[in-house]
Amino acid sequence: MSTILKIFAFPAAIFIMCLGILTVLGGHITPGGGFQGGAMVAAGFIFCAVVYGIERSPFQFSHEFMSAMESIGALGYVGLGLCGLLFSGFFLYNLGVDLYGVSQAVSGFFNYPDPTNAGIIPYLNILVGLKVMVGLSAIVITFMEFRGEEVTE
Amino acid sequence: MFAGPIIFGFILGFILGSRIRDDIFPPSSYLVVILALIIVAWNLGPFPYYTDLPVATGFVAAAAGIMAGRILLGR
Repeated sequence: MSTILKIFAFPAAIFIMCLGILTVLGGHITPGGGFQGGAMVAAGFIFCAVVYGIERSPFQFSHEFMSAMESIGALGYVGLGLCGLLFSGFFLYNLGVDLYGVSQAVSGFFNYPDPTNAGIIPYLNILVGLKVMVGLSAIVITFMEFRGEEVTE
Repeated sequence: MFAGPIIFGFILGFILGSRIRDDIFPPSSYLVVILALIIVAWNLGPFPYYTDLPVATGFVAAAAGIMAGRILLGR
């Protein structure tokens, strides 16, 4: 890629990633959410991977890192759901808001500290954002590292 | 201040910043990026109902997390 792109891409990727994180964090009150924000963060990574090449990209997502993030996202989501099942009897019950008044003892623990009183919804957005970020990045890494196989007859 | 977006913005940014393996850009370029990020956060403004600060706190926290991750765990 050209020198101009190489100077521009990495700082622009930082901006894109910050906007993606902002989209994840605002998922409960503004348009967006975990999937959209995670896709934006992955777009920042993909931008660098395309411009610099996957080996020389400033953002290096190792296999262990992607495996850990994917696991945290999936297990955290299921864990929050199971907490709802444990304390209220309903899977993914919003313990922080507690509309039915069945889990007042743990309501404060699961509430997201912001003025909208959204309960566990922001936590679900964050976990989905992690999972989508790694998932989309992994697809691109796989495609870019694929060298092709010689056809033998 | 509302702690939610600040804490989780910083954590998500730190995760990304820790994956930076950069040998192209000098530290001074990061300073310029930080200044530009703060200006962008000011122009973005806070979320609805967030009346604590006049900037997008999640954006600033993410930027701070990326820089902290780059300094502490990046190369």
